[in-house]
Amino acid sequence: MNTTTLSLGESSLQKFGRKAGKAWQSFGPLVIFVLLFAMVCGYTPTFLGNGGFTIVAASAAPILLVALGQSMVLNIGSIDLSNAAVTLLGAILLAMTLQPLAGAAPFVVLALVTLFGAVNGAIFAFTQVPSFALTLGTFGVFQSAALVVSGATTVYVTANGDSVQSLYFNNLFGVPYTFVLGVVVAVLAWLFLRFTKAGRGMTAIGKNESGAIFSGIRTKALKVSAFAISGFMAGLAGVTIIAQAGCASPTGLGSDLLLPGITAAIVGGTSISGGQTNPVNVIFGALTVALVPIATAALGIEAQAQSLVYGAVIIVIVALTLSRSKNSIVK
Amino acid sequence: MTDTTLSAEKAVLKLQNINKTFGNTKALIDLSLTIGAGEVVGLIGENGAGKSTLLKVLTGIYQPDTGSMEVNGKKVKFRGPRDASASGIGVVHQEQSLFTNLTVAENIAMNAVGTSSVAAKLGFYPWKRINQIATDALRIIGSNLDPSTVVGDLPFVDRQMVEIARAIKVETTDGGTPLVILDEPTSVLERSETEVLEREILKLKNYGSVIFVSHRLDEIMRVCDRIVVMRHGEIVADRLSGGVTEAELFSLMIGHESRSEARDRKPIDESMAPVVEVKGLTAKGKYTNVSFAVRPGRLTALVGSSGSGREELARAIFGAQKSDSGELHVNGKEVSNWRISQAVKSGVAYVSAERKVEGMIGGFSAAENITVTHPGNSATGPILLPFRRNKIAKDWFQKLDVRPNDHTLDLARFSGGNQQKVVMAKWLNSPELRVLVLDHPLRGLDPGASETVNAEIRKACAKGAGVVLLADTLEEALDMADEILVMRDGEVTAHFDMSSDDPSTLDLLEKMV
Repeated sequence: MNTTTLSLGESSLQKFGRKAGKAWQSFGPLVIFVLLFAMVCGYTPTFLGNGGFTIVAASAAPILLVALGQSMVLNIGSIDLSNAAVTLLGAILLAMTLQPLAGAAPFVVLALVTLFGAVNGAIFAFTQVPSFALTLGTFGVFQSAALVVSGATTVYVTANGDSVQSLYFNNLFGVPYTFVLGVVVAVLAWLFLRFTKAGRGMTAIGKNESGAIFSGIRTKALKVSAFAISGFMAGLAGVTIIAQAGCASPTGLGSDLLLPGITAAIVGGTSISGGQTNPVNVIFGALTVALVPIATAALGIEAQAQSLVYGAVIIVIVALTLSRSKNSIVK
Repeated sequence: MTDTTLSAEKAVLKLQNINKTFGNTKALIDLSLTIGAGEVVGLIGENGAGKSTLLKVLTGIYQPDTGSMEVNGKKVKFRGPRDASASGIGVVHQEQSLFTNLTVAENIAMNAVGTSSVAAKLGFYPWKRINQIATDALRIIGSNLDPSTVVGDLPFVDRQMVEIARAIKVETTDGGTPLVILDEPTSVLERSETEVLEREILKLKNYGSVIFVSHRLDEIMRVCDRIVVMRHGEIVADRLSGGVTEAELFSLMIGHESRSEARDRKPIDESMAPVVEVKGLTAKGKYTNVSFAVRPGRLTALVGSSGSGREELARAIFGAQKSDSGELHVNGKEVSNWRISQAVKSGVAYVSAERKVEGMIGGFSAAENITVTHPGNSATGPILLPFRRNKIAKDWFQKLDVRPNDHTLDLARFSGGNQQKVVMAKWLNSPELRVLVLDHPLRGLDPGASETVNAEIRKACAKGAGVVLLADTLEEALDMADEILVMRDGEVTAHFDMSSDDPSTLDLLEKMV
């Protein structure tokens, strides 16, 4: 006797509740961001006029790309704590290689960081070391690598930087191309997860790994792919950092992307326990995560209290948007 | 209800004109039922007949819309499971709900924690009292389990005893007779364990009354004094078990005669190349030197008790169990120790006994579960085409009569029998199905659903698939098989060709133990 309640029909109230829950899952992150943005504009009307959205979008771009990678890994029920370190390493490598390799540099760097991700995934899939522990380890490795290759100083782009930097300095209706890039990647990721065998297979792993294995899904290959995608997207985030700053350093812009990336994924409705990801909503997750600190500053909250406000607001938002599907156990 | 001759004052439970409606579905219609002290009453009906709803009303999970309920002569209105428990109704759920990392005593006396004394109210653990309650409860049911054993270390049948002890521990405030509800307690047990449990149930009669829910009609007839049949929310029959046959019960339950008929069995056609050939396959501690072949269109049943190695052997064919030596050939190719994904690609299907864990992907819609492995025309290359997926799912829903008829729903929300139909569809959706490995495909299914699933198995056979079946019961194996392989302790002890041999269940049992 399992739950036969359904076969007996559900009351109209239950049905409404289920539909409302589904709608909130689809539009919650968008609604939250719009409300928050409207609130900030209401309190400080000059925010919008001074290019407020442009600032938010620009600072959201690397967060978004890192969060998209993270959400691909969260989707298979794992976590990638190393991806922000990969972003920074990628940015440093790009800054160093733009002069010798010119236009080929971004592609070489992206190929390299994708490989880094794949190595993460391969170790994870074949040794079954929990991803949390594994990527905590590789996080350290990539961080050290960043320090070593940069000589622990800021690496400036000395030549051929224009094409990359134009991503940041050109915009589409006030939205910098770096963010547009993130949106395009998000839409592609959404299509991938929804309409390809590989994408559905990854989601299946996140929902029930044994079930996926016994359905003939090649789980190991898909795990490696998910981590490789995370590496690739982290690399794209690195590109946006070079676009924005023209330089990269182990302690500079982008050195603290890990937690905002995870937060943005969760605010975007990604389940931490896997099997539930909507990359399009991660866009709003990233915007929200980028908006909160900017908003607290714009609202004139004292610098010392900004972290506190940020923390409190994030908790509230996560409570509102966290995916609580029945099979999700927060691991 | 006319042939029950119970006087009202002896009644432990008396239901009168109970109605329960969900939305526009009537789950219980004017239901009246009386159960006397010391009676064991069987409750049967198809999935969706209203059994679960009735049990939930009895245990306080649902409140009836109208009607009255009396327990031990007192009118009751349950606001929740606690009320039901307080008035003497205990339940053993189908899915075991024990805490496997706690002791037997803790599981039994869980509710006593926190109310027994001041110290307990402050959060101190009243070990002494817990052990006392548990020991008493175990003594009443005549079990000699050690209360300090960790439940996870017990075999299933003993766990079931712990569940029963917990159920009868219900605190009857006025010393009335307790009523224990057993909701398919045998569905997860092996045959030998079932017998133990049946004996224990008979002992319960000395202490209380029992409502026994099961899909196994033979078992119901053995254990129960009276059998109540439900269909579409109503009681359609209430008979003493002496005066009714299995066939009668079956037709009462599903509203028509049983359609199952004996297969006509052809002798082995040696000219047909086997789809599965196992040669001296061995996995240490699991199975030893096993050889057999399954030809297209034939069904081989593996028979044996738990620990016989038949489950592992079945899994080896699907690539889910590694072998140490020997050979496995599928479609004429040697594939020893292949991977599941390779097996699936070669047309091997496996219906797991662990449906929720291995058989399906909860959280995916029924339609997606059907097409996740063999998408048919709902995918071109790596790209999926959801609109075609829905068409495929709709067809299967119709063919297998899956209820509710909505393939977009999360598969986890369907009842067990309907989930199993979807799991069958998932494998049958392959146009190149060569081998069908079935591990307890009828577990937890009502006779109607079982009939549907069995019909699909036979159809797959007719289309040329070779089937390996691990049946729930020997009768099921005898009914379905072309060949029977009996296993004991990992070795094949007998091989019957059903076209020439005609083994009885006793013949099989002899080779099993």
